[in-house]
Amino acid sequence: MLVRAELRKLLPYRTVWIVLVLFAGLLAFFVSVGGNVTINGQTVGNSLYAFPGLWTKLTYVASYFHLLLGILLIILITDEFQFRTFRQQLIDGLSPAGLIQGKLIVSGLLTLFGMLVLLLVGLYFGLTHTTDSSTSATEGLFDALLRYGVQALGYLSLAALFGFLIRKSGPAILLFLLYSWVIEPLLRLPIADHIDRYFPTKVFSSLTPNPTQAILETMTGPTSALSATQAVPLTLAYAALFWLLSYLLLRHRDL
Amino acid sequence: MAILEIENLSKNYGSTQALKGLSLTVEAGSVYGLLGPNGSGKTTTLGIALGVLQPSGGTARWFGGQISSASKRRVGALLETPNFFPYLSARQNLQIAADVKGADPVTITEALEITGLAARQHDAFRGYSLGMKQRLALASTLLGRPEVLVLDEPTNGLDPQGIAEVRSLVLRLAAEGKTIILASHLLDEIEKVCTHVAVLQRGELRAAGPVSDILAVADRIVLRLAPNAAPAALLEALGGFSWVTDVRPEPAGGVSAVLGPGRQPAELNQALFLQGLVLNSLEVRHRSLETQFLELTK
Repeated sequence: MLVRAELRKLLPYRTVWIVLVLFAGLLAFFVSVGGNVTINGQTVGNSLYAFPGLWTKLTYVASYFHLLLGILLIILITDEFQFRTFRQQLIDGLSPAGLIQGKLIVSGLLTLFGMLVLLLVGLYFGLTHTTDSSTSATEGLFDALLRYGVQALGYLSLAALFGFLIRKSGPAILLFLLYSWVIEPLLRLPIADHIDRYFPTKVFSSLTPNPTQAILETMTGPTSALSATQAVPLTLAYAALFWLLSYLLLRHRDL
Repeated sequence: MAILEIENLSKNYGSTQALKGLSLTVEAGSVYGLLGPNGSGKTTTLGIALGVLQPSGGTARWFGGQISSASKRRVGALLETPNFFPYLSARQNLQIAADVKGADPVTITEALEITGLAARQHDAFRGYSLGMKQRLALASTLLGRPEVLVLDEPTNGLDPQGIAEVRSLVLRLAAEGKTIILASHLLDEIEKVCTHVAVLQRGELRAAGPVSDILAVADRIVLRLAPNAAPAALLEALGGFSWVTDVRPEPAGGVSAVLGPGRQPAELNQALFLQGLVLNSLEVRHRSLETQFLELTK
């Protein structure tokens, strides 16, 4: 019932489709121009799209696009404050937990959409550019998709928290972006590496490490970031915490 | 059976006390009016009762129990403003509301027809006039045919014809046995449709009970003696009648009073004449509902 009600709100909403098309289009565009980049007089070309390395590179690039899905989720949440439809649904029979579950379902749907786009973009560019048929297209795929999906859930839970906390789309989006790009990196600056790797967006980004990390490490020394395996349970724990905080906000405030 | 019991409810917004220990009970089958000027606490009371505002103190109980999803589904409510998704049509909005309420989808068409929106049901809510938005909010309260309706200023934004239609709809639903709680600052509206009324003023209950008791219109009789008679004699005589109350001096030597139930001005005239007091004039001054209301909320 909740899923159906959420779909009834999402499917006819033009903003949703614009952001989703933008998400898929921008990701495909970035991946397609990646092959034309010239390094030391040579185009990167087909080596970029070779399986199984493609999945690691792709999830790293795609991780930057979570912000777009986060912005969409903030719009969908703050809309309901602005239209006072959260209030009406509470009057009509939902509990605060029900309202939260509805948006949790939306975050799940957005995550599935992100994973689907990642899969299609990866398969399309991988299969159309591959010259080497010895490696399977699915090698490393499930691991990459899973890490990407968990990461999306993490970012979306943070976006939802800003939405429920601030209730107005403009300021909530601004704070979400500022937090991810400026505030948390600043907070991490004075803190020792072995502690700062547990900060939320740092944990989230550990799920899709920079594919050139190995080369970087030869110059800067080993990174202290968490491994992807360690980051999965931590990200899920953060997501649960952020949704719980959103619930408490909704529960104890007037609507 | 009590449908809604509000006990000692209070609500503070910062340092402002919007409700001060309000208690009232709505019985099944009544059309209960919450009457009060703007800012008297009507919407706050209903907001707490409907579970969207947190009370600072006190309780609201529905059907003898705590507010719950099950209790909410027995109540159709319109609070303050029509709350819908602007980019969805009327029908799409009602479908969402019906999903949330667990209401039979058949009642969507029914509600659209009752409120006269069937012809415009596929238009986006954002293009609706204020009156149509209000009608859609009313339609939403009817989904699932609830046994109780809570209507906060339901005629807001409607034209005179719309107002008349809403009133006849309320009366019709009441005749079907539904309990209706209606908040309004319009005395006329409460008087025309309600069986019971609670008068609120600055967050406090001023009076509550059947409309016929609370908003009873008692006429005043204004009396004047012949110019040569002593005015004190009239005051003294009126004080002697047990069925004459609220004796007050009026300008230019007159005196006004209220007669007990069933007493006629002619009886007063005769009683005074028997005491040797001859009136120069006797005037029945009709007291308006507005005067009554203003007196209650003084």
